[in-house]
Amino acid sequence: MSAATTDAIPVAITQPLRSPGYWAGVFKRFKRDKVAVGAGLVVLAIILMAVFADYIAPADPTRSSMLRRLRPIGTPGYPLGADELGRDMLSRLIHGARLSLFMGVVPVFIAFAVGSVIGVSAGFFGGKYNTVTMRTVDIFYAFPSVLLAIALSGALGAGVFNSLLSLTIVFIPPIARIAESVTTQVRSMDYVEAARASGAGPGTIIRVHVLGNVLGPIFVYATSLISVSMILASGLSFLGLGTKPPTPEWGLMLNTLRTAIYVQPWVAALPGAAIFITSISFNLLSDGLRSAMDVKG
Amino acid sequence: MSLEISTEERDRGGAGTPLLEARTLTKHFPLGRGAVVRAVDGVDFQVLKGETLGVVGESGCGKSTTARVVMQLILQDKGEMLFDGEAVGSAALSLKEYRRQAQMVFQDSYASLNPRLTIEDSIAFGPTVHGVPKSGAILRARDLLARVGLDPARFAARYPHELSGGQRQRVNIARALALGPRLVILDEAVSALDKSVEAQVLNLLMDLREEFGLTYIFISHDLNVVRFISDRVMVMYLGEVVEIGPVDELYDDPRHPYTRALLSAMPSMDPDNRTMEAPLAGDPPNPINPPEGCRFHPRCPQAQTVCAKVKPVLTRTGAGARLAACHMEIAGSGHSRALGLEDAA
Amino acid sequence: MLTYLAKRILYVLPVALGVSVFCFLLVHIAPGDPLTSVLPPDASQQMQDELRKIYGFDRPLPVQFGLWLWKAVQGDLGTSIATGRPVAAEVWRAVGNTLLIACLATVIGFVLGCFFGFVAGYFRGSFLDKFASMLAVLGVSVPHYWLGMVLVIVFSVQLGWLPPGGAGPGGSAAWKWDWEHVSHMILPAVTMSVIPMGIISRTVRALVADILNQEFVPALRAKGLMDFGVFRHVVKNAAPTALAVMGLQLGYLLGGSILIETVFSWPGTGFLLGNAIFQRDLPLLQGTILVLAMFFVGLNVLVDIVQGLLDPRVRRR
Repeated sequence: MSAATTDAIPVAITQPLRSPGYWAGVFKRFKRDKVAVGAGLVVLAIILMAVFADYIAPADPTRSSMLRRLRPIGTPGYPLGADELGRDMLSRLIHGARLSLFMGVVPVFIAFAVGSVIGVSAGFFGGKYNTVTMRTVDIFYAFPSVLLAIALSGALGAGVFNSLLSLTIVFIPPIARIAESVTTQVRSMDYVEAARASGAGPGTIIRVHVLGNVLGPIFVYATSLISVSMILASGLSFLGLGTKPPTPEWGLMLNTLRTAIYVQPWVAALPGAAIFITSISFNLLSDGLRSAMDVKG
Repeated sequence: MSLEISTEERDRGGAGTPLLEARTLTKHFPLGRGAVVRAVDGVDFQVLKGETLGVVGESGCGKSTTARVVMQLILQDKGEMLFDGEAVGSAALSLKEYRRQAQMVFQDSYASLNPRLTIEDSIAFGPTVHGVPKSGAILRARDLLARVGLDPARFAARYPHELSGGQRQRVNIARALALGPRLVILDEAVSALDKSVEAQVLNLLMDLREEFGLTYIFISHDLNVVRFISDRVMVMYLGEVVEIGPVDELYDDPRHPYTRALLSAMPSMDPDNRTMEAPLAGDPPNPINPPEGCRFHPRCPQAQTVCAKVKPVLTRTGAGARLAACHMEIAGSGHSRALGLEDAA
Repeated sequence: MLTYLAKRILYVLPVALGVSVFCFLLVHIAPGDPLTSVLPPDASQQMQDELRKIYGFDRPLPVQFGLWLWKAVQGDLGTSIATGRPVAAEVWRAVGNTLLIACLATVIGFVLGCFFGFVAGYFRGSFLDKFASMLAVLGVSVPHYWLGMVLVIVFSVQLGWLPPGGAGPGGSAAWKWDWEHVSHMILPAVTMSVIPMGIISRTVRALVADILNQEFVPALRAKGLMDFGVFRHVVKNAAPTALAVMGLQLGYLLGGSILIETVFSWPGTGFLLGNAIFQRDLPLLQGTILVLAMFFVGLNVLVDIVQGLLDPRVRRR
């Protein structure tokens, strides 16, 4: 307290003690969550598998053999069996991770960017702009997500890009809504008022005071959508709306193997199991992130 | 640094001009269906240079809205403000420039600091907005931390949640001072603190006022604290000023019945000086449909027919520079206790 | 209450209008001409123009929308390009089947979800709680079309207990409550019930935990109310929210059923949509989506209204 009265304080000389920041705390809490760390490792493994598919996969995922169709799990040379065209399931599953992950992550990522811009601006500026924007968002909210994805994909036609586009459109409204509600809360905080009282303009306030406090919760919410996105994307392929054969993709593999359930049921179920493992890992990872970041809701 | 201009150089209007003059400030909030909250309804007051103006009143009387309008966080529907003789928002005094000269400290010390910024970054934010380079703003922030009694080496790089309420409020004060303001609005700034910490922060505020030549608008529901720190006091009721005057005069001889009621409700340490009766009867005030005439009349023990019909204006009364809005103080108002016109003359 | 009702309905009108604009535009965001799927590749220009006129594709968009909406309100959703039959008739038949299975699934999911959620919330932190939470995560993470396949593999292919698909013996789609027909419903309904189960159990768990945490529960216990009294109290407080979630979930199932119906060849809207997509029958796609979305919107309003009736606090929002 005596410092208040002394004039010469060596403020410029001593660097203040760095206290562990917010993210250090998040990381520490996350590390303690065994389930989340485990899920994170699985996700990491799947990502690595997708990236290095060419090196890991034992065989060419598109090389078919009419003589070796629908082999059971454990066949020599076909550790996870062979599909309806005699292609190696293991290699197809490894390569399939690429497109499946891509379709899980990329639409959510784009929707995160677009939805945040829409929601944060609507929340921050409020008023008529907010009403108009959020009402428009509500219209898309009137569709269950599966229906919206299928409607858009169905109208646009099959293809990876069209699925990507439909899924992105599906995820923008929920992200925009979350972003709007978090921003509305932050906007009414006294530190935003204080920043306005300092004469800062809206751009500066959003950059310095709003984004840092809203992007975390929005991001956590977005990560919880990755598993939904994967399931939906595979579902679109399952309906024949996603990628085209012979590209390996888990949903499409599930579709083409449907008729094989009487011959090799467990081989036919494998691609779905891959989707399931990935989606549950993303979900658990997202839950862990949510509690580590102490995001409510 | 541009912020280090001495107070004398900035004093354009001279000692006679009030630092802030509010003229019929009005702010109504529409509730829909035609209902309107008359949060601030035609408020006039002056804040003199170097003084502390205390603002008291029950919750919901418009104290905080007045503070936010004065800070221009909410824009008034009607009325204007003159800062050192210049209209706020005019070409002579832009809003941004005004906001450098007037600053505010909020009640909730935690909510008023960005949880993601270090203390020094929070304090340095204002100056950087006004073009001070980041490194200079940080140095100034550390200097201010020392001036508010927080060792910069220990506190500058901390986050708000690592500090106590009193420490955070010191940070908020430092943040308000970072722009070198002349007027600081303290909206219930010490109300949430423990009594011992409150006293320390009050002393700090008094020291800083001397050191930086500040003028305060001090808003509080705590009448003891207001008496301690203020030079003059303004009493508000349902969005209106009912009495304003020098602190001792107003506390010793309140002229408005509402002020009297407030003061008699004040907790006293003296056992001989305790009130036995409930000082305020009637319904609590509702700013949505304020009563006609004098807004206090439904709860006023001396209310008469004139009070329900005619709205009393602020009138000079008492010994010194005091104003009260009560028919009993207005000569010839028609209230039986008011002086007749001939007596006044 | 009446003003609340009016407000909800007024709020939903623009949404419903927006939904119909979206459905209308579906046909027009499609690449190429909506006629290409019915036209023979060597169709003459004159034939194309004639068909275009018949379907009204030659008029300006807003006019087309107005006409389309006017017809839709009267129950005319156009003609299927692939089959030439009225879309509305096809959709209505399919909607009935979808509703049947979705309602069954909601009931199963609600009962199981409430059970797991209640147990988890009541014995918080116990083994049962962890088990129920795990089930909930599994429920939201599982690709339900795959779960359907796995159930078919286990119960139809391996065990031979239940039929793998269809709505009845020999392609019968009649609503009969004999074992032959009911057995066809079991697998799709159970598969579909997994979707709401996880969410309902999560909601109920949070509700129960929240209510048990409130101060009046120890007070009830202190007053000597036995556990059953507390239980009744919890049910009374949790019911409105749980029912609301159930209603919304039924809506999601109407959409979510599409993939499951495809797996089980269940003759509902999902099956219809699958066909529409496969044959690029855009009027059929548009009509089905419109009906499903309107159902969903209506259901939302209904849930709001029922919730408002049950819980006066909701009305003041």
